[in-house]
Amino acid sequence: MDSFILSHFLLTGAVLFCLGLIGFVTRRNLIIMFLCTEMMFQGVVVTLVSFSRFHANDTGQAFVIFVLTIAAAEAALALGLVVLLFRRKRTLDAQAWSQLQG
Amino acid sequence: MDYAIYIASAFGAVALFLTLPRQGLSLAKVGALVGAAALGGLWLFLARTLPPALGIPGERIGLIYYYVFSALALGSAVRVITHTKPVYSALWFVMVVLSSASLFLLLGAEFMALAMIIIYGGAILVTYMFVIMLASQAEDESSPAGVAATEYDRVAREALPAVAAGFVLLAVLLSVMFGPMSTNTKAAGMTDRRIIGTYLTERTGAKIAERYSEKSGTGLNTVPQEVAGTKSLENVERVGFELFASHPLSLELAGVILLVSLIGAVVISRQRVGDEAQAAGIAPGQTNVEPRTEPGPSSPEVVGSVPGHV
Repeated sequence: MDSFILSHFLLTGAVLFCLGLIGFVTRRNLIIMFLCTEMMFQGVVVTLVSFSRFHANDTGQAFVIFVLTIAAAEAALALGLVVLLFRRKRTLDAQAWSQLQG
Repeated sequence: MDYAIYIASAFGAVALFLTLPRQGLSLAKVGALVGAAALGGLWLFLARTLPPALGIPGERIGLIYYYVFSALALGSAVRVITHTKPVYSALWFVMVVLSSASLFLLLGAEFMALAMIIIYGGAILVTYMFVIMLASQAEDESSPAGVAATEYDRVAREALPAVAAGFVLLAVLLSVMFGPMSTNTKAAGMTDRRIIGTYLTERTGAKIAERYSEKSGTGLNTVPQEVAGTKSLENVERVGFELFASHPLSLELAGVILLVSLIGAVVISRQRVGDEAQAAGIAPGQTNVEPRTEPGPSSPEVVGSVPGHV
């Protein structure tokens, strides 16, 4: 695998990560915000797999499994919290909880 | 090459800013055009400097598939963060997962591609869908009729600084990624031949052929005996070997994390039930919740008895 092709795959991963980052900051819906963190995970995973192929080393792909584990755990906990918050205020707006700023 | 990356990032930032949901007139289509032009222009510029080493036909075809699936993934990713309805955002995210799984197939990581589809596209996205349905169904009662999406979905928050920061980060990342890069020989993993010779000495062609014919049941040996895994390992075998030979402790810890999150989810959802019963009494400021949980047109003694319960 040429480093030129590697750069292309890294481009995809980086753009996915940055789009997820921007989405996390700009969207106000709690569920979409967590969806954007999953998209950032996705960008990192693309990067890991392409480096794994480039170096012919499978550690990158083994890490992806751990990323998936964390993503699953995060989704379970975060969505449970979202439901809890929704029951309290009947809205998914993240700014409804801005009184936590003090 | 750096200038092309910076210019494309700037145009991409403008495009994304136009596409993000906002009040007033929507310029999403203009944004989509500008974004497609930025990405396509960057790819064309990079392809112009294609090194002659890419003359191998297989690699070049792989690169074409890369362009297709990558464009799909990035376009869907933009839709995820710009769509005003959460359900459609989640569906577009499935598209992102599928396209990046195709990219993994191009990279020869079959196990990762399928695991991605099953875990992300199957398990996690279904969980998201459940929560979106749960949350938005109740939303319909309170939101005024005729409004397609809620207010907080229709307007992006701090769009300009966020897009600027995100694309500055992207430009820096890309200028590093397209810089000179070389294979680190120390980074290379063990070759298939060495893994087989050192650790999998019982893996002979005859045994593998035996297993194959046992499984298919027809006695038909689909894999040539001398090729079948005696010299090369498949992706699943390599990843499994890597996982259990080099990261056994991390694997245990991953199991512990899953257990903790399982218990945590149970605790959170149990807490929710208790909370709901108390919510009417504890938080009188929340006018949205209170009238709904109270019986409504009942006798005044019921209303009076609510603080007494608390």
